[in-house]
Amino acid sequence: MKTNLTPILSALTRQRGVRGSLLVDETDGVIIDATMHVGMKGPAFAALAASLYRKARLSAEAAGLGGVTFVRLRATEGHVCTAGKNEMVLVIVADVHANIGLIRMEMLKALERLTI
Amino acid sequence: MADDIRRLSEELARDPASPVYLQLGEALRRGGQLDLALKVALRGLERHPHEADAHDLLARIAVDRGELERAFDEWDMVRRIAPAHLGARKGMGYVLFKQGRYSEAQTYLSEASELDGEDETVATALAMVRVKLREGAGGAESADSDHGIQRPQRAERPQRHQASSLFDEINETGEHTALLLDATGLVMAGTYLTQDGRDVAQEVGAELSGVSDEARRAMRHLGLGNWSSLTVETDAAVVAMAPMRDDALLLVAASKAMPLGLVHRVLDRCVERANGWLGEGAR
Repeated sequence: MKTNLTPILSALTRQRGVRGSLLVDETDGVIIDATMHVGMKGPAFAALAASLYRKARLSAEAAGLGGVTFVRLRATEGHVCTAGKNEMVLVIVADVHANIGLIRMEMLKALERLTI
Repeated sequence: MADDIRRLSEELARDPASPVYLQLGEALRRGGQLDLALKVALRGLERHPHEADAHDLLARIAVDRGELERAFDEWDMVRRIAPAHLGARKGMGYVLFKQGRYSEAQTYLSEASELDGEDETVATALAMVRVKLREGAGGAESADSDHGIQRPQRAERPQRHQASSLFDEINETGEHTALLLDATGLVMAGTYLTQDGRDVAQEVGAELSGVSDEARRAMRHLGLGNWSSLTVETDAAVVAMAPMRDDALLLVAASKAMPLGLVHRVLDRCVERANGWLGEGAR
């Protein structure tokens, strides 16, 4: 089903190396909207990425580092990037060779346009 | 970078008296072409002997060439020409810190702080110097240290009792800080200094180590392999983490002004240093 968020997420998913873009509720880890390549485990990514972002946000606040703007997890076979706004988390799952600098920039721009 | 150097070289060739030699020398220095950078700076100084920034450039080139005494002299010259030059105070403080002359380093860095109280690198460097002085390192300054700055360098590989200074050589510019945490979030090595010189490593380590547990958990379920780094950008800083043996965690915190790619380079260097140190302890 298409929503008004779909074009923003689709544009992110069209970036080279991106497997999927998801907008997730930070509190319960449920998908609000997503565009993903076939075979991607959307609900699992949504839940775990939101949980990671939430943990990073709370820990950074507790450590006196202020609000979190961007979180990137690099693994041997890919990247998970997250950025949050108004208790929503924008999640990107990308291949290991993806251009993370570009994806980061596009995510931060997309986040500014996200309204529900 | 190469285009910039070509453009600046052409500009200088057209007008040898142009101040563009400062930009060209700096570009060459950043590009690691130290001999050329030195030549450009010296030629510039021939035409502009009282230009403080030219002496400042020469000092930075000297540091990159490992000529600390020369760097100190050049910054001293800068200070004489331009008494309010911040870079000169920072540079002289840096050289003295590298020589282990902490009380003198404190003097210059305090002057730098008076010139610009907002400069984070000065605040962090000053905090590091004060910690060294508190640890008694200042008391180890030899009597002959006043007669020159040729002092023995710190041993390449820190010993177990030097845990707090494990990453000092990597953090020589004071722009970032590094911590090695064990699996329970306790600090094994490194420091995390606030601008007022307090070491809050234990608090920060305890709060942030939980994030790596979350990363490990996520990777177990997502099939993306093992995690190799986690970067958290916040309003105040950039924190990068990497997993270590025995579920330990290496954490680097840097100013937001530091480029992200450089933060990761620093993280890699700290991981390498920590691996060596942990291996040393295991033997």
